[in-house]
Amino acid sequence: MELLDKLTILADAAKYDVACTSSGVNRSAVKGKLGSTASAGICHTFSADGRCITLLKVLMSNACSYDCTYCVNRRSNDVPRATFTPRELAELTIGFYRRNYIEGLFLSSGVLRNPDYTTEQMCEAIRLLRGEYGFNGYIHAKAIPGTSKELLTRLGVLVDRMSLNIEFPSETSLRQLAPDKSGQTVLEPMRFVRDGIKDNIRDKTTSIVKRTRFVPAGQSTQMIVGASPESDYQILNLSASLYSTLELKRVFFSAYLPVNSDPLLPQVTKAPLLREHRLYQADWLMRFYHFDVNEIIDEQNPSLDPLIDPKCNWALNHIDLFPAEINKVPYEMLLRIPGIGVKGASRIAKARRERTLAFEDLSRLNVSIRRARHFITCNGRFADGLLFDPASIYDSLTCEVRNRHYKGVLDGQLSLFGESGLTREASTQPLELASWAS
Amino acid sequence: MGELTSDHLLNDGRLTCLYDGSFEGLLSAIFWVFEHKENPVDIVIEENLQSGFDQVITTIDTDIKKAERVKAGIIRSLGYQAYKDVRCVFLSDDERKGRVMLRFLQYSLKRGARSRSDLAEPIIADFDALLRAVNREIHYQLQFIRFSELRNGIFFAKIHPKANVVPLIMSHFAARLNIQPFMIFDEKHALAGIYDCQRWWMVEAEAVSVPDQCARQDEYQALWQTFYDTIAIEERANLTCRRNFMPKRFWGDLCEMIPHELRKGQPQTATPTACARLAGEQSRKSLQSPLN
Repeated sequence: MELLDKLTILADAAKYDVACTSSGVNRSAVKGKLGSTASAGICHTFSADGRCITLLKVLMSNACSYDCTYCVNRRSNDVPRATFTPRELAELTIGFYRRNYIEGLFLSSGVLRNPDYTTEQMCEAIRLLRGEYGFNGYIHAKAIPGTSKELLTRLGVLVDRMSLNIEFPSETSLRQLAPDKSGQTVLEPMRFVRDGIKDNIRDKTTSIVKRTRFVPAGQSTQMIVGASPESDYQILNLSASLYSTLELKRVFFSAYLPVNSDPLLPQVTKAPLLREHRLYQADWLMRFYHFDVNEIIDEQNPSLDPLIDPKCNWALNHIDLFPAEINKVPYEMLLRIPGIGVKGASRIAKARRERTLAFEDLSRLNVSIRRARHFITCNGRFADGLLFDPASIYDSLTCEVRNRHYKGVLDGQLSLFGESGLTREASTQPLELASWAS
Repeated sequence: MGELTSDHLLNDGRLTCLYDGSFEGLLSAIFWVFEHKENPVDIVIEENLQSGFDQVITTIDTDIKKAERVKAGIIRSLGYQAYKDVRCVFLSDDERKGRVMLRFLQYSLKRGARSRSDLAEPIIADFDALLRAVNREIHYQLQFIRFSELRNGIFFAKIHPKANVVPLIMSHFAARLNIQPFMIFDEKHALAGIYDCQRWWMVEAEAVSVPDQCARQDEYQALWQTFYDTIAIEERANLTCRRNFMPKRFWGDLCEMIPHELRKGQPQTATPTACARLAGEQSRKSLQSPLN
């Protein structure tokens, strides 16, 4: 088979993996070797779906021996199968890297024969890259559930990031939809990787140069949203515990797209992209804005509001903490103002030490006040022409999304299609207002 | 030089300084302004001079020693980072950069390093806006530069950036590509950066003639184009999002954005793959709709 055909098959089979980031490790260049990594990652292009392409994302093989219902590569599907040889893959990666197409390699695989054999093939490709080709760029490898610990260790010192997909927000769903996997086969290697990463820090005896580092960019995972009945409440609590107990760097969500028809799978026509978007917004609040999961979502309202982002939603539910006086509130509170990001908050904190800030100063700081203006005062003054009233704030913040919904021009990341089930009635009736009535 | 300075009050609001377009030239002009206690409305290169009624124009000669003194002064009172920022803003294509830099230095040299954090001060904010734009352009180039392998083994990239950023991206690529000689040619600013595996340097050049691409180049380009097309999920198509992250002005230099019919080395009769079957030729076309 031609390399071009192999690449087509194995990139197509890998495209549903969402964790395409090259972040988490800063490694400067080494003389005589090709490559370096930047801790923030570099996106080298964007595909027609608007997603960043930073790594050569391919499977080692799509000749999978498992039969997971949701997966395009399940063995009962009649699709063309291909397998890279380790050398083909190494050369392809180097060829792309030299041309600045990519930051490195994202290597996953279907289960070729068995997990250990698959991982051996992956290790061999990466060993070639790191050794023979002197590749010093980014490598992210998927660990195959069921791989032996020896092989995981061997893989872990070759790569920057490792990830295991927990696939679904509950083990019940995992067992139903992925009969060859179980919670244990996923969680156990994740614990193993976590402990290995911890040992990096403890192991200070060898010199930094000689020390082999195990998974220096940390581990991540992903789960499919919308194929199983779990609520946003369950999903976010699960990610919170993944961050705290397994010390993951990222939890990725993937809006369910029907690629197979199986009686166990829900019949949906559109991927729940807006739901995925809201989950990511909530995830950001936990990782960068010091929000606790219980502040974002609770059992009584187990779904994130599709019309409004979770930070605005939190602010409206805690309207007694607002308006926030830009010149006075502590940095932690600046971070909690809707529409103000981490950079904006630190710019405000810096600038207000030098002078009292007015509304027009905020735009000089490159801080957008489109959402924030509803929730702040500058030197005691509200923004002109705005009512500080939860109902009208909700109306004003959601009108853009509602208008797009009515016009039916929504697409992509802000899609209201799919399972959100919104109706005209629902959108004119503010969902969170009950709590303010008293 | 200096004959117009006998009474600087007379020049107020009328004086424009001309410099030769070099960084040292701009610093020399700033030195002159401080030395003569003038307050020109602008410092520009001759091509950008806007002639106006009642205008006084003075040409400042570049003087390396004076430029060095300004540099030392910036580092002493504002810190090395501020000097790097000044260098960075100088590479901006914005024609306001001369006066923005002048106002910034007039303001902050008087007040010291702390004024650098007075972000709401319009003078500082203008300077920071230009700085952000140049830094953004640097990052864009780290993302979107595409090298082609030439027959002589050198990797070549042609770019058209919005700021004169090649000097600021050379160290990134020289460190990263390390064992690979390359050349980045900025056609817009007529400047090329060259790396020979030992060191890198800059050359002014209106045009460069390069040898043909090597045969492998077409193969890798076709592989990359195929990968790019295949990795997109049709059901998630979002061309607006793509354009926001990857503005159209870069597309001309990105081989993956070459329309299908203009691509070379791509077999039109690839064996039917999972992608072709799942996505279908028609929907592939819709992903590349010319509407966006």
